[in-house]
Amino acid sequence: MNEAEIPALTPAAPAAPGEVGLVEPRDFVCSEPFTFESGQVLPGFTLRYETYGRLNAARDNAVLICHALSGDHHCAGIYSPDDRKPGWWNNLIGPGKAVDTSKFFVLCINCLGGCQGSTGPSSIDPRTGRPFGVTFPFVTIRDMVRAQKLLCDHLGLASLYAITGGSMGGMQVLQWPIEFPGFVKKILPMATTARESAQAIAFNEVGRQAIMQDPAWNHGDYPRDGGPRVGLAIARMMAHITYLSDASMDRKFGRRKKETAAAGAYNFDVQFEVESYLRHQGESFINRFDANSYLYITRALDHFDLAAAHGSLEQAFAPIEAETLCVGFTSDWLFPPEQNREVVLALLRAGKRASYAELTTDLGHDSFLLESPQLYGLVRGFLEKA
Amino acid sequence: MTRPVIKRTVDMQIIADWVEPRSRVLDLGCGRGVLLDFLAQSKDAFAVGVDLDFEKIAACVHLGAIAYQGDMLDFMRAFPEKHFDRVICSRTLEELPNPAAVIAEALRVGRALTVGFVNHGFWKNRLTTLLRGRKPRNAVYTTEWFESRPSNPASITDFEHFCAIKKIRITRRVHLSGDWKTSCHFRPNFLAGYALYDLTQ
Repeated sequence: MNEAEIPALTPAAPAAPGEVGLVEPRDFVCSEPFTFESGQVLPGFTLRYETYGRLNAARDNAVLICHALSGDHHCAGIYSPDDRKPGWWNNLIGPGKAVDTSKFFVLCINCLGGCQGSTGPSSIDPRTGRPFGVTFPFVTIRDMVRAQKLLCDHLGLASLYAITGGSMGGMQVLQWPIEFPGFVKKILPMATTARESAQAIAFNEVGRQAIMQDPAWNHGDYPRDGGPRVGLAIARMMAHITYLSDASMDRKFGRRKKETAAAGAYNFDVQFEVESYLRHQGESFINRFDANSYLYITRALDHFDLAAAHGSLEQAFAPIEAETLCVGFTSDWLFPPEQNREVVLALLRAGKRASYAELTTDLGHDSFLLESPQLYGLVRGFLEKA
Repeated sequence: MTRPVIKRTVDMQIIADWVEPRSRVLDLGCGRGVLLDFLAQSKDAFAVGVDLDFEKIAACVHLGAIAYQGDMLDFMRAFPEKHFDRVICSRTLEELPNPAAVIAEALRVGRALTVGFVNHGFWKNRLTTLLRGRKPRNAVYTTEWFESRPSNPASITDFEHFCAIKKIRITRRVHLSGDWKTSCHFRPNFLAGYALYDLTQ
């Protein structure tokens, strides 16, 4: 590869202090055939990604951010000066922030199988001229990581200084140093697990059923602007509850009613604020997410099982050279603290350098995304200790 | 150097002398990671700490030490026998609700257990109680009784009695005088301010 392929990182407008500022996504087009864990092959694929900060001369200051199920590559910065919605981890990433873009070259990639620009079930199958739908190869967390590595190689990265992410992102964080031990220096998984519990698989299955029982799903064969909108919205509404907690929902909504709800109305219109909130979550999700991608990615989550894949967690972690800091959150009942603890205990049993910290929050699984000076200090301390 | 820092340095040095180079060490109640860092630097030890408090774990991480936030008994139960070359329980024992269970578990997961504690049989502590009728206070335990530390004050005689009935072998003992620097060989339960023990099952 040559220098011209390294993304130029100067934003079009000066960034506000502490903010990444204007960013734009880029596409990495891999035209080599890619063989999935399932044995299925794609002739090539595209990954959409964003980068912030500068790659140093040694090309070893990259920090990879891995997104969760419904996330994407846009984890920091804004797309236009009047863009009011910065990337999903903007509070953590930026110049002078916990993941300091004045020190690190930050990279975030939409996962393989996703629908925000990377190749997935909603992409056009060149053989048919129609979306892949359920003919898309089954994708695993390991496939996502292997594809990310091809992009890292394309960018000429000598190594990854650190990898971090929560939830599904945390699974990728764990898979990375197993797959490419010498390439990763530090890993920082949060709110994650080495394998989902029956409860987590159960929630994913309800979401998938909501999609597949919607007649508009049509066995995965639907036009790009159509599809099982009702089913996908319900899947999202249900899943969203699992990202929160009883306490946080009670604080945010309580039993408050919409102003429009007539007192004591005996009907099924929206009455409670929590209903209105969930309906909004569902509706905004169908405009940005593909139902088949939702099926594929939740399946990837369910299949992820490092212990089963390697005989035991200790054996899975045996090749790891990176140092680990795993962070759990007390109110996370989707990937609860015990599952995060188990990751660290297995790493320690395998003789690896691994720390565990637990934040007391009442915000549920999504706690890793929230504004917490304690979390920022912890992340900064871990990343900046050479 | 302030007085508590001098005291800290002396008992840390004794503990470090007992740690084999490059050995695997577990520090129960690791606090902000000062001992972990010292063992990693001076002995190239693979030192892991356990503590309950988030801010302490964050301080360890900032130092580059390995630390686990959680209950020490739960932590040790997750490891096979003799996984650690040495478990260290420095100024932690007297704060535990169940020291016997922790010592038993530490001797299971560790080949050796180092214990360091303030001797509450020290004459000054006795005098405080006798003359002032007050709970002893000193450089380590500066708090009033209602602030709860220590919850289980023990003397050298108490501790050796415990080891005898539990058939725990004392392989090394160091008793330090009231200055916590010079060693004390005569009537330690009365004249020693601080005690360090090395134990095996």
